Amino acid sequence: MSTVSLDAATAPPVAQLWKTRRDKERFQWSSLALMTPAFALLIVLFLIPMGYAIYLGLTNLTLVGPTAVKWGFTGTQNLDRLKGDTEFWNSLQITAVFIVGSIVGVIVVGYGLATLLMRARAWMRIVVGGIVVIAWMMPAVTAGMTWYAATTGGGTFATLTGLKNSNFLDAQPLLIVTLANIWSMTGFAMLVLGAGLRNIPGEAIEAAIVENASAWQRFRKIVLPLMRPTIIAVVLLVALLSLANFSLIYIMTQGGPGTATNILPLYSYQQAFSFNNLAYGALIGNVMVLIATIFGVLYVRIAGRR
Amino acid sequence: MRVTKKVGAHRLASGAAVMALVAGGLAWSAGGIASASSKITITAAYAANTTFDTTPLGFTWWHKVAQEFDSKYPNYTVKLVPVDGGEPDFLTKLALLYHSSSTAPTIAQFPSSEIALYASTGYLMPMNSLLKGSAWFSQFPTVIQKEGNISGKIYAVSAGENNNGIYYDKAILQKAGISLPWQPKNWQDIITAAKAIKKAEPKVIPLWLDAGTSAGPAGAEYGIMNLLMGSSNPTIETSSGKMVVSSPGLLQTLNFYHEVFADGLGAPTSQLFSPNNAPNIPSADFAKGTLGIAVAANFIGGNWTKQVSFPYWKASSTAMGVAGLPAASGNGYASILSGWDYGISSGATSAQATAAIDFLNIAQDSTNLIDAANWAGWVPPVKSDWTVPLYTSFDAPFAEEFGKVLPYSSEIPSNANFSVWVQGIEQASGAIAEKPSTTGAQAEQQMSSFITNDLGSSAVATLK
Repeated sequence: MSTVSLDAATAPPVAQLWKTRRDKERFQWSSLALMTPAFALLIVLFLIPMGYAIYLGLTNLTLVGPTAVKWGFTGTQNLDRLKGDTEFWNSLQITAVFIVGSIVGVIVVGYGLATLLMRARAWMRIVVGGIVVIAWMMPAVTAGMTWYAATTGGGTFATLTGLKNSNFLDAQPLLIVTLANIWSMTGFAMLVLGAGLRNIPGEAIEAAIVENASAWQRFRKIVLPLMRPTIIAVVLLVALLSLANFSLIYIMTQGGPGTATNILPLYSYQQAFSFNNLAYGALIGNVMVLIATIFGVLYVRIAGRR
Repeated sequence: MRVTKKVGAHRLASGAAVMALVAGGLAWSAGGIASASSKITITAAYAANTTFDTTPLGFTWWHKVAQEFDSKYPNYTVKLVPVDGGEPDFLTKLALLYHSSSTAPTIAQFPSSEIALYASTGYLMPMNSLLKGSAWFSQFPTVIQKEGNISGKIYAVSAGENNNGIYYDKAILQKAGISLPWQPKNWQDIITAAKAIKKAEPKVIPLWLDAGTSAGPAGAEYGIMNLLMGSSNPTIETSSGKMVVSSPGLLQTLNFYHEVFADGLGAPTSQLFSPNNAPNIPSADFAKGTLGIAVAANFIGGNWTKQVSFPYWKASSTAMGVAGLPAASGNGYASILSGWDYGISSGATSAQATAAIDFLNIAQDSTNLIDAANWAGWVPPVKSDWTVPLYTSFDAPFAEEFGKVLPYSSEIPSNANFSVWVQGIEQASGAIAEKPSTTGAQAEQQMSSFITNDLGSSAVATLK
């Protein structure tokens, strides 16, 4: 092991010592060249389009109409409109309910299934796990059509409950689309949470049993703390995936009835393409990017801590 | 080196092959250019899945017209640009085609509600000089000629019109004690008949009125807007271009909706809010004998023909009756008129514009015009065609009856803000259908808030 002499006469100056230390990160100019392709891709595929989208959100560009051809920067005009847009705030609120409902449902059902499947016989684990994973892998179009057919008047729900004329989808649209979202994401949560559960040391649980800890105490004091990072990762990923889930709701309700399920991606689409306000639609899209960024940063920080 | 020599030989061979291909390609493209240069090419964009009753019928019609055009004019050629999707998808994709001069279609067929918007963007060419002496355009009724006329410039010409009226099941009405032929004199007559049906045939849906947003603008065009046209004040757009968000006419219309749904006379929301082609649902319900009366579009009759089969119902001509939709107080008939029109791109060269009008001359000749009307469920815009057997016998007796009420119809406003207004009125009708305790005034307030929030108070008007 190398040592640094403290003899004042022979010791190098402090500044030189600093330069030669090996425990500090050093910058090498050559690394810039190696990183150039990645930087270039990031700039071309992310920063420029993102910057352009932010700029578009501050213009008066329309899909059709005089400003589809001659459009320009309008400063904070769209931002001012956004502040006073009650439909936007309503949509934001619906989005929040949809995301929170989805997170709670996905975690509870996914965790429940993961726990049960750990104790199930192998064949049952394969069959049930397989079915849940298929639901997760199903394209949003198929999932949306399946849930639409099941929950509309005369559908599976109405037949099973004996209420043939009931239309669950129109009676409780936000609840039904949230359930559909939970259904389609539970497989993902089950797989991730199941992997987390398998990593909990058996000795810790056995010791708690020897100490006469109840099932609830074991869950609260051992399982939950050890599963915390996994659960948080699932929460953030489900939040991000739900925020971007345009197809499922568009297929089931198109944001209706009225505006009951008009989450932000649908409102952005409606403004951009149904009402021709491309710039305003882009601005709403930018708000979504901002929300997703917050979730993304949280995810990266928590993943880094692990 | 041996290996190098081998590679070199490969390179040589590859190079020769590439050279040969390039040379061949150049020769081929030169030939192509030579043959293309002698022809004027135009493009024609159309909705592949929504305009005609079925996609194959649309395909057949457009290709037939294109073939006739190519045969008649050897110096011209037309390239068809079918645009897939529902009407909202089509409009988005068409708008995007116009965004680039290289993809802007020489001719496009689009809903009449889009004319002003496209014209104000500068996408469309005024057709006044091209239409001089046109035999077919001069035969259009004035209301249809005005469809594409903005400040004296004709930006689009009608391909066919949709108007609306009342369909009724004769047997169900007879069971309800209503004498035939039935022609309600006012809105109260419709309510009375629907109540009688509910009493006599509890399992039957008494009255179909489109409601909600699931069908896009078409839902209102085939539903609530027709009633608005027959109300005490049918104004949608003021003379200064503001969209009406509150008026005695709107309130009267929404009150009528409230009365229908509060009394349980309307269709279930599972059908009304269905994203699966809601405006066509009445044709299936009538064929099953589960619907008494419907305010619906003229194309419903065509749905029962063998060619369209949506569903095929041979007995429809005798089992069903049609009537004009009366105004609220019995002062004549009311209907909204929503056509599909042809426009020529402002980017077309004069030679392309001439070719485009020659293409339209073929598309609008009597046989093609009536074929389009029959297969797309339109009333042809040429008045003399309304009594031609090719048209009247296709979905008799419905086609002829809808032709008769066409002069009472009113055009959809061609205003950039119409898409927001129509969403607002559909939300209002949907709110009543979903929650029948919603009063007309509450629904109007909801509509007003939605539209004003989006367009701003300076773009909307309240009429007393």
